[in-house]
Amino acid sequence: MIKRLITLEWKQFFRSKALGQSLAIKILIGFLALYFIGSFLLLGLGAYFLLEETFPGEDPLKIVNSYLLFWFAVDLTYRFFLQKLPVMNIQPLMILPIHRNAIIHYLLGKTTFSFYNLLPLFFFVPFSVVLIGQGYPIINVIPWFLAMMFFELSINYLNFLVNKINVVFYVVLVLLLSLAGLEYYGVVDVTGASEYFFNRIYEVPYTFLIPLLLAVLLYRRNFDFLRKGFYLDDQISEGVTEAKTNELNWLDRFGEVAVFLKNDIRLISRNKRPKQILIMSVFFLFYGVIFFPQDMYSESYTWLIFASLFITGGFLMTFGQLVPSWDSEYYKLLMSQNIPYKKYLESKWYLMVVATLISLILSTPYLYFGWKIFSLIAVGGLFNIGLNSHITLWAGALNRIPVELNVKAKAFSNTQGFNITQMLFVLPKIALPVLLFYIPYMISGFTAGIVVLAIVSMMGIIFKDFFLAQIEKVYQKGKYKTIEAYAEKQ
Amino acid sequence: MQKNNNQMIKVENISKVYSGETVLQIDDLTITEGESFGLVGNNGAGKTTLFSLFLDLIKPSSGRIISKDIIVSESEAWKPFTSSFIDESFLIGYLTPEEYFYFIGELRGQNKADIDDFLLQFEDLFNGEILNQKKYLRDLSKGNQKKVGIVAALIGNPEVIILDEPFANLDPTTQIRLKKLLNQIVEEQNTTLLISSHDLMHIIEVCKRIVVLEDGKIVKDTLTGETTLQELKTYFGD
Repeated sequence: MIKRLITLEWKQFFRSKALGQSLAIKILIGFLALYFIGSFLLLGLGAYFLLEETFPGEDPLKIVNSYLLFWFAVDLTYRFFLQKLPVMNIQPLMILPIHRNAIIHYLLGKTTFSFYNLLPLFFFVPFSVVLIGQGYPIINVIPWFLAMMFFELSINYLNFLVNKINVVFYVVLVLLLSLAGLEYYGVVDVTGASEYFFNRIYEVPYTFLIPLLLAVLLYRRNFDFLRKGFYLDDQISEGVTEAKTNELNWLDRFGEVAVFLKNDIRLISRNKRPKQILIMSVFFLFYGVIFFPQDMYSESYTWLIFASLFITGGFLMTFGQLVPSWDSEYYKLLMSQNIPYKKYLESKWYLMVVATLISLILSTPYLYFGWKIFSLIAVGGLFNIGLNSHITLWAGALNRIPVELNVKAKAFSNTQGFNITQMLFVLPKIALPVLLFYIPYMISGFTAGIVVLAIVSMMGIIFKDFFLAQIEKVYQKGKYKTIEAYAEKQ
Repeated sequence: MQKNNNQMIKVENISKVYSGETVLQIDDLTITEGESFGLVGNNGAGKTTLFSLFLDLIKPSSGRIISKDIIVSESEAWKPFTSSFIDESFLIGYLTPEEYFYFIGELRGQNKADIDDFLLQFEDLFNGEILNQKKYLRDLSKGNQKKVGIVAALIGNPEVIILDEPFANLDPTTQIRLKKLLNQIVEEQNTTLLISSHDLMHIIEVCKRIVVLEDGKIVKDTLTGETTLQELKTYFGD
């Protein structure tokens, strides 16, 4: 049975249209994976000696233990954003004589061997070997290592629950934030607690059964959750919501693009997926709260620009990167109706610009951190409007993954509109402004950097029509491929 | 009514090849202005492929399609006078039917009042299940979705209307009403109507010209007459 499921999946992967089109990106991701493996391996081998040298007289293992809680927190965070949940088309399988349990066990079991679980091995295995080499008793090190692996597995399964059930996400988020806050203000010694906890696990070998139990429990919880969702009507009988009509006449002032803007507003307000994304983009506004108060970051313009771009660019980076996938469900209509491609792109551009302007207005409280930082935010916003909007639209031409608009936490699909491919397109949006700031900044100071950034951004706005015309050409070129890829899901 | 014989759509040596297999190969086909053109064929005969080529939704492997002197794969100028409904992917699920009609209307230069006016004539066809239902298109039944798509394709007096399988999924009453409606459009306006169907009866009642596709090739091209139905039935193995 399991073998047959694997075959199905194999075929789905290699026969999907998105595969062939992004070979370059796949290679890039491959390199990225290799880089992480290498880094973890080096860290695993060197951590012990590095810590011993930096903190003489202290037990490196204890130091590692004291930060493990954060390790797992970070682990959960990046898994939340990056790790894709097992996706499988269950509908055709439901009427076949296959045990539901078998399918679910297979799906969950499959995640055990994901890259995200293998990666920590590259740290913990060499680190444990070094520990043994340094004379730590095997009887303690091995159970400690096993405990770490079970914790990773627990995180793995926890992540799926966090992804599927929004409440869990908020609970975990609040918990993590308050822990970080308590540690920061010295109310509670989180690192101390972490050190104590993980040291106990090290000292009392059989305690590795605790994380094992935890992993098993979380697995069960996932299993039950999926088992419950294993019905077709779970997806269709969700209840027909009463349609609310809104004329949105105030948008008419935008002229020809108004008709598209109206649609986009409805797209966002009436579909679950874009709503999720919108909420996510609001969180971006708080980026500065993390970066600005810390000396380590506030001294470095790279980090400040980075933060500034994210504060105003939340919507642009989250919603914008999925253009034109948002319209994938009815792309054929758009391609055959009386719509000039350019108008369509222009309306998306306006949407991003308006959202960025709103973010910019909402970010005025950052004036608290002084004019210098706020001018960075403002110029960051300007850059988002002037250039990043174009880059985002341009990158969209390569985006051929259909989006299912009104699909929320369906038990067997990925609910996060986030993957590594799209992450890669964020790089130029960040690197370019940092570069544009730094070169004049090195030559003649802060103001020069700001001015150059502002001028370049203004150019982007002034030559909007030119850029959009160029982008349109890219879209036209990929038109057939895009239509074909978007039709795949339907 | 007198129909002039201006050519509307011309197919020149068009072919579509998917991984080495030719699914469509039409050397020459001319559809005149105001013609009601019916496309018949078994599954996989190439009907939807041909319609998709008319709408430039897929890339021809060779040849070209000229719609009113415009090569459809090279210019977008055919879009203002062409409308179509191929499948559900022509509907925007999160809009109500009204909003959808207004949207299409705006794209075709019709304001809200025009559309309200236009929709009056479809009261029968809609059967009280489409308008003012406070439902999004995605929540309508397949049949009702189809009605919306077909009616939307009629907005703004397009010169060319392309409908793929308009009768499928509709209940018998609606099929009859739709037939009447399509006949009316062809007779009263000088519209070129292109439809495909598996249902020989329906298509003969609507179309003046029937073309049969098999394995991507035209095997029969005939004007409808009294014997056409029998001919087609014989052809398809009766």
